[in-house]
Amino acid sequence: MKTSFTAVAMVCGLLCGAAFASTEADVEASFRPYKSGVPSFPGLTPGTVVSKANVEQFKEVLDEGLYTMVKNGWTELKVGATTSFEMEPNYVEATRKNINKAKLGATTGEITGFLAGRPFPEEPSLSDPQAGDKIAWNYKYGINWGDNAAIYPFYWKYRNLTTGQVERQIKFNFHFLNFQHRVRHEPIPAVVPNPANLFRGIYVNVLEPQDLKYTQLLIQINGDDTKLSDAYLYLGFQRRVRRLATAQTTDAFLGSDLMIEDFEGYNGRISDMKWTYKGTKNILMPYYNHNDQKLATDMPPEADGYKFINFGGLGGCFPDITWQLRKVYVVEASPVNPSHPVSKRVFHIDAQVYNINRTLIYDRKGELWKSWTIGKSHPDHHLPINKGSGIAIDDSFSMVDVQSKHCTTGQFKGQIDPKLNPPSLFQVQNLRGGD
Amino acid sequence: MKSNRISPEMHSRIRRAIKAAALLCFASAFGPVGAQNAANNLPDLGEIKDPWELDFYFENDTRVRGKDATGSTVGLSKFRNTGQIDATKNLSGGWVFHGILRGTFDGVHHLNPDEYGAKAGGAITLQSTAGGTRLPAAYGGLGASSGGLVVDHDTVAGLGLVNNKFLNSSALLAASPNQGLRVLGDRWHPIGGGVAFATPVRPCDTDHRGCVNFGGYGDQDRSDLEFPEFNSRLDFIREAYVRNTVQLDEGKTLFLKLGKQQVVWGRTDLFRVLDVINPVDYSRNNIYDELQDIRIPMWIAQAEYRMGAGDILQERNLQVIWNFDKFRPNNLGQCGTANVILDAGCLFRGLKNLWDNGGTVANFANVAPNTLLATNFGPGQIGLNRVHLPSWSLKNTQLGVKFEGVTKGGVSFSLNALTFRSQLPSLHGGKRAVNAFTGEFRNAWPYLISFDMEFPRVHLIGGSMDVAFESIGAAVRVEGAVTKGEEFANTLKPQLYSKNEVFRSVIGIDRPTFVPFISTSRTTLFSGQIFYQHIFDHQRKSDQFGPVGMPDWEDNVIATLLVKAFLMNDRLSPQVIFARDFQARAMAAAPSLEWLFSDKLKFTIGGNFKLGGIGHDKFDDCRACNPWGPFTAPIGDSNPTTAFSRGLGGFEPLGRFRAGPIGAAFKEDEIFATLRYKF
Repeated sequence: MKTSFTAVAMVCGLLCGAAFASTEADVEASFRPYKSGVPSFPGLTPGTVVSKANVEQFKEVLDEGLYTMVKNGWTELKVGATTSFEMEPNYVEATRKNINKAKLGATTGEITGFLAGRPFPEEPSLSDPQAGDKIAWNYKYGINWGDNAAIYPFYWKYRNLTTGQVERQIKFNFHFLNFQHRVRHEPIPAVVPNPANLFRGIYVNVLEPQDLKYTQLLIQINGDDTKLSDAYLYLGFQRRVRRLATAQTTDAFLGSDLMIEDFEGYNGRISDMKWTYKGTKNILMPYYNHNDQKLATDMPPEADGYKFINFGGLGGCFPDITWQLRKVYVVEASPVNPSHPVSKRVFHIDAQVYNINRTLIYDRKGELWKSWTIGKSHPDHHLPINKGSGIAIDDSFSMVDVQSKHCTTGQFKGQIDPKLNPPSLFQVQNLRGGD
Repeated sequence: MKSNRISPEMHSRIRRAIKAAALLCFASAFGPVGAQNAANNLPDLGEIKDPWELDFYFENDTRVRGKDATGSTVGLSKFRNTGQIDATKNLSGGWVFHGILRGTFDGVHHLNPDEYGAKAGGAITLQSTAGGTRLPAAYGGLGASSGGLVVDHDTVAGLGLVNNKFLNSSALLAASPNQGLRVLGDRWHPIGGGVAFATPVRPCDTDHRGCVNFGGYGDQDRSDLEFPEFNSRLDFIREAYVRNTVQLDEGKTLFLKLGKQQVVWGRTDLFRVLDVINPVDYSRNNIYDELQDIRIPMWIAQAEYRMGAGDILQERNLQVIWNFDKFRPNNLGQCGTANVILDAGCLFRGLKNLWDNGGTVANFANVAPNTLLATNFGPGQIGLNRVHLPSWSLKNTQLGVKFEGVTKGGVSFSLNALTFRSQLPSLHGGKRAVNAFTGEFRNAWPYLISFDMEFPRVHLIGGSMDVAFESIGAAVRVEGAVTKGEEFANTLKPQLYSKNEVFRSVIGIDRPTFVPFISTSRTTLFSGQIFYQHIFDHQRKSDQFGPVGMPDWEDNVIATLLVKAFLMNDRLSPQVIFARDFQARAMAAAPSLEWLFSDKLKFTIGGNFKLGGIGHDKFDDCRACNPWGPFTAPIGDSNPTTAFSRGLGGFEPLGRFRAGPIGAAFKEDEIFATLRYKF
């Protein structure tokens, strides 16, 4: 019986793949969805404020979680003009060059033939049973932070949604490096040698507060999606690197409302989830120009004068930004592991950038647990070093635990600077050089 | 003639005042008010743009103990106030300076003087056994010829040995009065028919008996105990090093770290199989503080060639460390303080006092069947004579090499080699002494309990690894090492010790697990470890009166379990640690609750409680070693002129090696409250 299912899956992998092959036009449409015009909705124009008072009018352009929070009066959404986030040209070119080379395997988490770029640029179809998997791969091999980047620094605040009390403020540096499928910064296409077949590294250094200072985290994501990522934690008070068990990636990271698995939208394996494409929508997404926003005045100063995104709303849990009406793919991801703390995530993935910017996270009972927002700034309206990078800059986040009435907010200083992210930073031994 | 000399008490007061002033300067210079000014006033240390990063901390740790084995309540055992400054500065050329200054004032010696200060101890009573009945025998008591229960000069002279060097009561009490004393080991066991002797317990400025430097402890005045970091080794400079990562070709780097620092090897918690480069200060809080707070930083040069990935390994790193600091052993705690691990500091002080001043030893002289009388030894006969702390020389420095790698399958591992001086003392017996019966001096008396303290050179090779197993949702770590050169007490050897190779290993597992009644959104950490130790060529046999040889167990297992929960976004964290020493049949439970009130203020309350007994802790005490045959032969012995142990034993002095750190602290249950604030 098992063999039969495998055979069917393999046949589908071949036939379905053939049936949904991409074209040059698909590539163009994928990267320039607003070439023929931006989406619109009656009554919704730049400058509109979606609030408790008029939320019913705009319910159709809000995801379920955002709708509920606005309806509750927790936040209001200022609408900005929809703009195109032109992607890194080398990434787009790699997509053209490698079109139709990537093939899904027999089981979720398997892919062959992928080299670089967006592996499945064609428009997803509800009739394609593998559409969810393809969107997941497009996200995984997307150009979220490019070949390398740093959030330097990165402030997280743990807040009481009801009272607004800031319980904790963590100051981090985050670093990202793609070992494979690189398109812009040398070495291209990969950092070699790489016998462990690492795909990506994430290195985190905690600078404040006292009890977490000197903590470092290293995540090494394997190129084989079916293999477990390696995670190491250096605890300053132990002066030792500690190997993290799998379950710790689905735990509250340093007591925040985020799991390691939530990083960047979704930081787990594709093979950890069952992916289902639920359709395409035009909804409000947290895309904006950083320099045009009201910026925080209560943050520690940066030497270069950079200011962070401001937060407001109930408990200070919501980014004070403008939202764009954008084309979004809705994908539901259910954990394969029944003991996973989450029963499902509903991802809202930007169709142009292929980033996850709005996520609804449901607990094991199936009830809404968290509402997860990652705000993106256009790189040309951010730090000078990011201008022309073609990378939509992660710029603000809000993870609201709607059950415990608690949130964690994030204020970024994202920098596309390869000098901040040498491969040596992503070695376990680098952690042991800490104080 | 008018004397200009300062009295010892005045001298001690002056030292205390100087150290208090130093701590106040330390606090005011870098405290909440002074921190910013201090940062502004610190030197530039080269061409730098970045300012000094300074963090100032204050911590109060207050602890209280219940009753010890004597039945008396200990009360306050710690009132420790610590100021700490962490300083970091980016220098030119990629160098970074990092320093930690720490100053402590422990008020317990002032607040609880009856236990840990100038009034500690008192007059003691030892024991004689007559016809199998245990009877009280006064310290420095009267001899049998005077109606007492003690063997003294007159008693032995009565046997015709008129040149004997035993002391009569008056002479002994004149040399070493019966005040400020405790019976060795009385905190955790009764005399129980074994040997026992007095150990002075007052700070050395109050009572200098038995005071000698055992390597950072043993000769401490009250001010030294109150301000432990302000000493000749400048321990208030806890860490001070520079580090740099030098970029080489092909992405390789050379990591350098020079200065006073901690170098941590290995992967396991609590146990020090590979983590042996820095000695440890157990006097701070026994085994219950984080190792980073009790490792004794040393002046070390560290160089690491980080080669990055190769064809087979994802990471390749070769580290060389050279500990060029003057040798320091573990601080085992001075007798008369709260944390004397294994009660070793009391054994050493008691032995030293015996050598220097003589003293009464309980149940020693086997003068008739089932009759063992307390004996008044004179100075220079038994006890601890010399402490050989290795001086600084090139050959006394310590060298280590480590290869650390990660396989392409994701297994992290290390291979380690280290040559170092043992951080635990070894007592070499059978040394020089005067025969108390005849007055004859010899440079060596095999099997005599006259000791020198040594710190032998030890060679270690070992390794460690860790790996995550998805199938069980756990991370597993393993560590193992073999040492050569370690020394153990061994009553089968004429010098009462032997060198043995030792294998130690730890396997640990971390498994975060959802425990629904604690939290459905946050796992609870279960971290278990099993420590195993095997002593090669272990010697033990049964003789006429009991076992002889090595008190340490040939094979022993200690297991630990940590259960730690995280609540309120990790701001409230209850945890409990269990530790079980299987051979000693001793167990400790250490529950605590940590509350992070804010990013600056943390409270912790908890305790540590021991379970088990002392029934298995007796061992050969060498009363029947007969070093001065035929006088010291047990009554009716078949071979009265030959020195060897016949196995008569008790709790002291070797029972501590069977009880281990948990068993020897059997009666040190403690509760605590700690406050830590960052300015």
